[in-house]
Amino acid sequence: MKVMTLAALSAAAALAQHSDTVLVNPFQTPDDRARGAVFFRSQCASCHGADATGGAGGPSLATGTFRHAASDEGLFKVITKGVPGTPMPGFSMNGREIWQIVGYLRSLSASRMAEQAAGDAAKGRAIVGAQKCTGCHWMHGGGSPRGLDLSTIGARLSVGELKRALVDPSAEVAPQYWLWEGKLKSGETIKGHRLNEDTFSIQIMDGAGKLRGVDKSTLAEQKLERRSAMPSFKDRMSEAQINDVVAYLATLKGDAR
Amino acid sequence: MRAVSLLFAACSLYAQVTYDRLLKAADEPGNWLTYHGQYSSIHHSKLAQITPANVKDLELKWVVQAKSLEKHETTPIVVDGVMYITEAPNVVVALDAATGREFWTYEHPLPDVTYPCCGRVNRGLAILGNTLYLGTHDAKLIAIDASTGQKRWETVVTDYKKGYALALAPLIVKDKVIVGTAGGELGIRGFLAAYDAKTGKEVWRFKIIPEPGEKGNETWGGDSWKYGGGSIWLTGSYDPDTNLTYWGTGNPGPDWNPAKRPGDNLYTDSAIALDADTGKLKWHFQFTPHDEWDWDSVQTPVLVDHEYKGKMRKLLLWANRNGFYYVFDRVTGQFLSGTPFVKQNWAVGLDEMGRPVKAPGRGPSAAGTVTFPGVQGGTNWFAPSYSPVTKLFYLNTWDDYSSIFFAWDQDYEQGKWYAAGGVKAEVQSASRDRLNRRNPGAGYGATRALDPVTGKKIWEFRTAEVSESGILTTASNVLFTGNREGHFMALDATNGKLLWRKYLSGMAASSPITFLVNGKQYVTVAIGQALFCFGLRD
Repeated sequence: MKVMTLAALSAAAALAQHSDTVLVNPFQTPDDRARGAVFFRSQCASCHGADATGGAGGPSLATGTFRHAASDEGLFKVITKGVPGTPMPGFSMNGREIWQIVGYLRSLSASRMAEQAAGDAAKGRAIVGAQKCTGCHWMHGGGSPRGLDLSTIGARLSVGELKRALVDPSAEVAPQYWLWEGKLKSGETIKGHRLNEDTFSIQIMDGAGKLRGVDKSTLAEQKLERRSAMPSFKDRMSEAQINDVVAYLATLKGDAR
Repeated sequence: MRAVSLLFAACSLYAQVTYDRLLKAADEPGNWLTYHGQYSSIHHSKLAQITPANVKDLELKWVVQAKSLEKHETTPIVVDGVMYITEAPNVVVALDAATGREFWTYEHPLPDVTYPCCGRVNRGLAILGNTLYLGTHDAKLIAIDASTGQKRWETVVTDYKKGYALALAPLIVKDKVIVGTAGGELGIRGFLAAYDAKTGKEVWRFKIIPEPGEKGNETWGGDSWKYGGGSIWLTGSYDPDTNLTYWGTGNPGPDWNPAKRPGDNLYTDSAIALDADTGKLKWHFQFTPHDEWDWDSVQTPVLVDHEYKGKMRKLLLWANRNGFYYVFDRVTGQFLSGTPFVKQNWAVGLDEMGRPVKAPGRGPSAAGTVTFPGVQGGTNWFAPSYSPVTKLFYLNTWDDYSSIFFAWDQDYEQGKWYAAGGVKAEVQSASRDRLNRRNPGAGYGATRALDPVTGKKIWEFRTAEVSESGILTTASNVLFTGNREGHFMALDATNGKLLWRKYLSGMAASSPITFLVNGKQYVTVAIGQALFCFGLRD
């Protein structure tokens, strides 16, 4: 009997641990967020940047998505325990202070993402289909691997950022989308995205999505352009059409929290 | 009964690393008896079985995986076929150097919260007699029996809750164990302390941040000395001829708002030479007075007897994080020369005493200031090497590399980060990412050979990524080093030509070492989460 009781108890404990219940941040007033901003500045900003967009030692925390945490509870754990194998230590702040920082971090993406799109999402969806965006982009499990995955782009970019990406795509390009072109000593030319590089080799995805390792000793010449392969749609679509596309893309949030 | 006595007699005789052996460590290259290999810290071995001609025949002998995900910063020591390593956070492992098989593991239990600035790492051990010495993240010094892995004693170095932690390998001098502490980003007041190797009782303590009434305190405005930093997180050197022990000290705190601490901020960012018996300061040299960039002078003090202007001198060679290469007379502390070895824009130059003449407007600001070198410096804590064969100084550099430095106001709070500023840089200060997509124009790494007297570059081997690896040279002119890319490489020490490389996928953040196993030369390097051992094909 005693054994059974114990077993039942531990089963209940296990259930509690693995339930869907996620701890909710109990400190979410504007005052808490302001306090969080102060703590962030003193304890986090040295590595993550004064505006939380990243620094020499730590990644951006302003996007609303986090590499090591999917929820507020996850963020709380990262701050208290650190991330082993990275310079991120566990911090000895009290729980209230940590929740206030979590609230502040959430507010960064919330305010950025608060802007509402002016266009018509349904029209935008039709335009995305007509323009064959998935000829270059990946979306909802299909399309082309060459361009950015648009499936959750609405959770990552604000309305303003989406618009800029359409009008001036080369303004800010993630390094894995920079254009690389190499001419081999054999005469062959390879064009694609540079996915990785070291002293002796470059890892490329070519225009067909083929992954290729290139030994630098076989290269006659190479160039890397810090611009996007995507054309500007400034003169290809009307302002209204661009707003429609932005409105549609802003709905693509996936299940990102 | 007699058998038992004999057994015990044998035990007590074995593995006695006497102080005399430590003094002459360079003459038993089959072992690697101290963190830096020998007291002069030149990271050079007299072994010569592995040569530029046969290094291509190196093969993997064994791998020992660490159980921690933290950066593996251990540099092993090897004593008569037994290797002692540390794993993060505070684990000691004794291995068979021939096979990698474990004899025992010692695990120091840590409190849930400790205060490392940048990961719960550990760099290694010291040995004297049959006792190993370990510094811990809760600021203890622990003596461990080298045969059994049992603790002999532990002593509290200081209160870890005030931001102190020990990450360095201790240094043995005579009958003392010398350690300093990390914590330069947590408002500590750094010190170097010596303990009786038998009992753990403190013998002397030198304060990096002098208190009111002590010489040097006048270089701190107001109460700023109270949280002045001045960590020591890398093992120093020792010269038995002068009986001086040489150490590099860390940044002043808070790191990036120097207005909080008017003055030169002695003895931060300095080379210090202390009497090894008393801990009394014989001389000091401050590389970056009133540091504004977090340029700890926690580099390996390299002690070399070398000709200088026609006369043999006892030199101290120092490639500093601030981007200048310095030469000193290590007996007197006289500054002999200093020259930039990487792109820098913070100093117009050095005056005749070696003091930098700062360029205006290069300190941190609210809007951010671009300064070369960046926050990690032109080089950092990873060990350089000096070869008595080539008579060259070797180091890993970060060149053409900058950071944007920001300053803001902040008050000290115990146990909290106290940097009062921040840094952005395209080259990440610490990166474990296996993907390098950086703009190639944002700086590069290079292994370089310098003329030890002039600092002039003799050759370089450039790499796409930067390196946090130490360098080992051998009497046969093979240079071993690693980098963040995951390569372990052998270069020709005479000309920098790549002789051999192996991709091990992970960063090197410690020093390669070499030793003999059954008369055969082996080389180890910690890369990623593992220690790799190579030897020539049988």
